[in-house]
Amino acid sequence: MKVTWKLADGREITAEVRDGLNMMEAAVANNVPRVIGECGGSLSCATCHVYVDDTWADKVGQPDRFEDGMLDVAEAERKPTSRLSCQIKAGPALDGLVLHVPEP
Amino acid sequence: MTHAASTDDGYADLGSHDTFLNGPPHKTFARLRREDPMHWSDWSGGKGYWSVTRHADILELNRQADMLSSARGIRMEDQSYEEYLARRTFQETDAPEHMETRMKAAKAFSKPVIAQFEGVIRDLCGPILDEAFAKGTFDATKDIARQLPMRMLGRIVGLPDEDLPWLVEKGDSLIANTDPDFTDHVLDKMTTDEFRMMPFNSPAGADLFVYAKDLMRKKAEAGDTSGVLHLILQPGLDGSVMPEHEFRNFFCLLVAAGNDTTRYSIAAGIHALAHQPELLTQLQSGQVWDTMADEIIRWATPTSYFRRTATRDFDYHGKRVREGDKVLYWFISGNRDETAMEDPFTVNFARAQNRHMSFGQGGPHVCLGMWLARLEVRVLFEELAKRLRTIEPAGPHKYLRSNFIGGIKELPVTVTVK
Repeated sequence: MKVTWKLADGREITAEVRDGLNMMEAAVANNVPRVIGECGGSLSCATCHVYVDDTWADKVGQPDRFEDGMLDVAEAERKPTSRLSCQIKAGPALDGLVLHVPEP
Repeated sequence: MTHAASTDDGYADLGSHDTFLNGPPHKTFARLRREDPMHWSDWSGGKGYWSVTRHADILELNRQADMLSSARGIRMEDQSYEEYLARRTFQETDAPEHMETRMKAAKAFSKPVIAQFEGVIRDLCGPILDEAFAKGTFDATKDIARQLPMRMLGRIVGLPDEDLPWLVEKGDSLIANTDPDFTDHVLDKMTTDEFRMMPFNSPAGADLFVYAKDLMRKKAEAGDTSGVLHLILQPGLDGSVMPEHEFRNFFCLLVAAGNDTTRYSIAAGIHALAHQPELLTQLQSGQVWDTMADEIIRWATPTSYFRRTATRDFDYHGKRVREGDKVLYWFISGNRDETAMEDPFTVNFARAQNRHMSFGQGGPHVCLGMWLARLEVRVLFEELAKRLRTIEPAGPHKYLRSNFIGGIKELPVTVTVK
């Protein structure tokens, strides 16, 4: 599947992502700035916070209660489309996904 | 770099605290990374253990918390189930229990919350540095590195200033429980088991228990809801409240963890400055403030390892790990892995993409206080760089006697100021 990260400075990074990887792993592999993933995708750090593009929000879905709790401690402002990218798994249903990387 | 040279012969006993009296045995770690990345050691202190020493392997295993559990102890020491239950903190739990506690505590230690403390930290740093520098020659661990983290913990938790020296002393005897300079109850030389139900197997834990209970009573009476302790006593998502014994262990963890790891990071940074004058120039260039804290924390690696316990049999690098086996992630080795970072034995404050693992990155137990640690280190060195003209060693330094916490406990330096 294809994913595009839109950075706050207007730059875009698009990459092909293997099914089963999560969006934090994919971002780190593609050197997307500001998506760090300090806890390796264990829901313990909130450093892979992204905004899901409005057109994709429904398909990606809502955070579970642990992710919901951790989104409260993310650095950037929380929005209705906020997700931790380690909890979004690559798959055919999300082909073309657009994620926005927050500025602090 | 002479100060980084290791004196071990490549075959050091990693289970011996004495091994670390001369600093980490880096030649041994380098050999294990090269030759035997999943290494078994028999151990005189109990059951043997596996050592994982490569950066990539630690990252790969650390995230597999279902296979490698924190809930049977996180140090090399063997514990009975009763001891584990009595002494555990949330460091010694797995999901989902770990997540419940973590979410409560994380609110107090999030990056935005911690960022608000920058001014407080700066105000603490100034007098600490001025007082030490006025002496000309002094012990930088005692007079600088030891001072800031505990005073800062006092502010975050909401503790009275006059209690802080006593708490530092108790925290030291907990975490440095293998060094006779810090405790009368040296862990591997104990002749009694009367403290086995207490945190870190130490009577200091009992003192901190009493203190924590007293503190919360006083705060409740005064209606004081500030600080992290109040936050973590709120009911979780499932409505449960942290039981008292667990709360008291958490308090011990805060005192110990907020105390020594940042201290030994600061000490390692000052030690590096004293041995490499060009580093002070690098700091004073003003170009490295975004990266220097992580590099100092990588260089220091104050927590040498954490242990996990296998929940099932698995094969790794051709070895069969059995359920119940202890597996150690040697962060101190991962942080010097030549295949994961360029020139790992060089201090480079400008190091970018610093994928160090001093905070246990890559797993669910990544350090809760990492934003605070980074901020304290940066602000302290900013204030230090403003004042310092020269710094050099004033005698030999001494390492802590511990294979678990790596740190310079005595660091005599001579300074001149601007």
